[in-house]
Amino acid sequence: MLKIEHLTKIYDSGVRALQDVSFEVPDGQFLVIIGLSGSGKSTLLRCINRLIEPTEGRIIWNDTDITDATDEELRQIRRKIGMIFQQFNLVRRAPVMTNVLAGRLGYTNPLWSLVNHFSAEDKRKALEKLDRVGIREKAHIRADQLSGGQQQRVGIARALMQEPALMLADEPVASLDPATSHSVMKYLELLNKEDGITILCSLHFLSLARTYADRIIALKDGRMEFDGLPEEIDDRRFKDIYGEDAVRVEIA
Amino acid sequence: MTNKVPRSSRSALRRLLLVLGIVIGVVIYAYGWTTTDISLDEVQDPVRQASVQRAMRELLSPDLFTRDRENRSFFVEFAIGCPEGDLPEGRADTGDEAYVIFTPPCADSDEVVTVEGFHFPADAIARIQLYREGQQNLPFRLVKSDAADAQASEESVFDVDSDGHFKVSVKVPRGRGLSGQTHQVEIQAAVPSGWPRLSDTTKTVIDKMIETIFLALMATTLALPVAVVLSFIAARNLMRQITLPLGNVLVGFVLLPVGGWLGYQVLGPLGQLGVRWGEDVLPGLGGSAGALAGFAFVSYALGRLPLAGSARRVRSITLNALLVAVLVFIVGVLGGAGIWLGGKLQTGLLADLGNFVGTLGTLTDLIIATLAAIGGAMWLSSLGANLVAGPMRHVFSPLSNVLGAVLGALSGAILLAMTALFGTQAVLLGLLTPVVAAALGGQLAVEVYYLVPGARKPKRDRTDVDQMIHTLAYVVGALLAFAITAYAIDLLRAIVDERPPSRAMIDLGLFEMRTYVAKSSLIGGVLGGLAAGLAGTQVAFPLGMSVYNTSRTILNALRSIEPLIMGIVFVIWVGVGPFAGVLALTLHSIASLGKLYSEQVENIDAGPIEAIQSTGANRLQTVVYAVVPQIVPSYIAFTMYRWDINVRMSTIIGFVGGGGIGFLLQQQINLLRYNQAGVAVLAIAIVVSILDYASAAIRERIV
Repeated sequence: MLKIEHLTKIYDSGVRALQDVSFEVPDGQFLVIIGLSGSGKSTLLRCINRLIEPTEGRIIWNDTDITDATDEELRQIRRKIGMIFQQFNLVRRAPVMTNVLAGRLGYTNPLWSLVNHFSAEDKRKALEKLDRVGIREKAHIRADQLSGGQQQRVGIARALMQEPALMLADEPVASLDPATSHSVMKYLELLNKEDGITILCSLHFLSLARTYADRIIALKDGRMEFDGLPEEIDDRRFKDIYGEDAVRVEIA
Repeated sequence: MTNKVPRSSRSALRRLLLVLGIVIGVVIYAYGWTTTDISLDEVQDPVRQASVQRAMRELLSPDLFTRDRENRSFFVEFAIGCPEGDLPEGRADTGDEAYVIFTPPCADSDEVVTVEGFHFPADAIARIQLYREGQQNLPFRLVKSDAADAQASEESVFDVDSDGHFKVSVKVPRGRGLSGQTHQVEIQAAVPSGWPRLSDTTKTVIDKMIETIFLALMATTLALPVAVVLSFIAARNLMRQITLPLGNVLVGFVLLPVGGWLGYQVLGPLGQLGVRWGEDVLPGLGGSAGALAGFAFVSYALGRLPLAGSARRVRSITLNALLVAVLVFIVGVLGGAGIWLGGKLQTGLLADLGNFVGTLGTLTDLIIATLAAIGGAMWLSSLGANLVAGPMRHVFSPLSNVLGAVLGALSGAILLAMTALFGTQAVLLGLLTPVVAAALGGQLAVEVYYLVPGARKPKRDRTDVDQMIHTLAYVVGALLAFAITAYAIDLLRAIVDERPPSRAMIDLGLFEMRTYVAKSSLIGGVLGGLAAGLAGTQVAFPLGMSVYNTSRTILNALRSIEPLIMGIVFVIWVGVGPFAGVLALTLHSIASLGKLYSEQVENIDAGPIEAIQSTGANRLQTVVYAVVPQIVPSYIAFTMYRWDINVRMSTIIGFVGGGGIGFLLQQQINLLRYNQAGVAVLAIAIVVSILDYASAAIRERIV
């Protein structure tokens, strides 16, 4: 169970990215967060693993207050929260294998990781995860040689290495074409259904959200605009979320 | 329509300003012209023109090669002053024997005669001189024209043409008792023999050029590790996120000197013991193996214990401390082994290696105690900050303010005592104390301002006016603190009279202290205590940014000092020679590379950092996995570039005694030996352009 209580984030520049956002996510849910660019989706996700420090409010995950954790505790918590990004955020010059193994850093003795040493068990696991996302044969080529969809799958494999119970996906398909988008979303769905990983995923496209979400939250200017089932978003709600001039764009 | 008039008047004003600007610009430029003594008189002076022509001609005729010459001498009789009686007969032309004809056949001193020679060795370089038994020979100087009043040149060497013929006008030499007698005149003809070879100048230049290249290489490689470390702490994007609660920072700061003292007292002797044992090799090896085995055993044994919570923490702290001790010992052993190896390898092929290892060993012996002190300070300080992190979070106002006041007073006192100790050394360093006090005072004033009802503290609600008041409070506080401190420590005495601070001592009961230091530390204590007391231990302290600002300031200051000036200082310290040059270039390279590198770090893609952090990696792992892969290519490129620059700089560092080819070049220029200087200049041009090309090619390939 993930509980977000009165979360507020105000950046140093004065921008209010999140204002008093509260909601709960039961374990195993596929939650999609929608909203316009700048509505606070990325900030919300990054507050959950404290890549961004919240200004106010609490985030409680399985009875642990993430917002109150010390650096050491925070690292322990982050190990269990996987994250994938719109820009994939791979180390582009490093081989795929190194990128995937980096997911184990939280579990690895820092001294060993300095010399790029990982246990045989970790390496076996890395190949297994790559196999799972269908790019095992790419293990030893450089990450920047892969296509966008493949890079995102490396990102997923890296997150899987953490054995996460929660996965944060920050617009994972915004840089991909429609067909690849679906393939990446399918992997996330698989993790949700097979491994029971709770997924918080921000998306631009309502059509994708409707296809994959158990539940949708909409943010507008940092506030919760909608919280409910995908089918509940009708034309009026759509215009509330995206503005009066918005037109629905379907993604095949 | 309404703004038509203002617009045209505005454009007229703009035009006027433009004209005014141009006039002012020309005036400033003219002043610069005068200041820099630009004048055409010197340029047109014929004497100067002649010298520059000669210098240029010789510079462009470098003394690169030489070859052996065989001297052959021909003797002929010549009468000076035309004595009575028969003149010596010129030799008859026998077809292949060399002979000369003097016209006129005899002449007085300083008169010009024409000498024509036949059947001399072809293409020889020849000279004519008056041969005197047991005395110095007197040369017949060449005369450019046949006129009697023609000036004799300094030269006496001329060429024989390819037929073996020559015809020159020379002046009969003057000397006591020469006149009225017949003398032997020697005509020396030097014929090239053997292959051309490098001249001695060239050999010396090559020697020095190698020294120069290695000088640059040493400076670059020595600077590299320091610059890499500095570049991370001088990178804004890495440091900005590092903030700690003020309380933790203060605890860490207070523990710095304690840890330093402990490290010096405990780890230092341990390291030196390692050096002693290492010098005998076997005990060193045994000791290291034993220490490692002991550590492995202890860590295994402790690791088996089922500990939790704080006991676990105590265990990891103990193990870390043990590991540090073992490592210090092993470093000492390595140093000692270096000294031993250096002693063994004093001669033979590996003498250079022996010298290298031996010097490193001695260096380890010298600095291990200092390193241990620094290590101890860092370790205890971070340990303290970490240990109090948990409890500190549950300290709230007013206790947090009381705690802040105590810790702040201690930290402030320590900080200003340290700056005051620097300040006793030189006038400019004396400024450090009031400046640091000003920073504290500014912060204090801001904290006082927050006490005013209605003052908005958090950044998010602050308007521009709030920001202005905030800045104003800081400036006022800083100025006040500066003035008070400057008065208290009598800054005028230092700046105006250039006298060191007073040596008066004050008895503090337990020990005596210099009043100057005591006063500074009292001011620091009061300012620090008040500021931290008002702020409380919970407030976030931008530790990263303060480290960033400090390191950037130091790098910028270092970079602004030319290596030539540093060279002068190091020549005073270690004497004339390449070592001084290495030190000067190293220091400058650290500053320069540190800046270049840190800018690379600041330009990296932040995405991978986020990604690696989100896996639960610690800070070091994040740097290794997300930052390092992104910066390696540009670091290599900049290092090559720096080596290139260092070669150029080391060509002139010799001008101040820093060794390398510049030293040779300067000597030759001072002795007006431009032919030789030309070789050095040519060598510099060749080496610099090769390196320039090579480093550009390598950089292109990597980036």
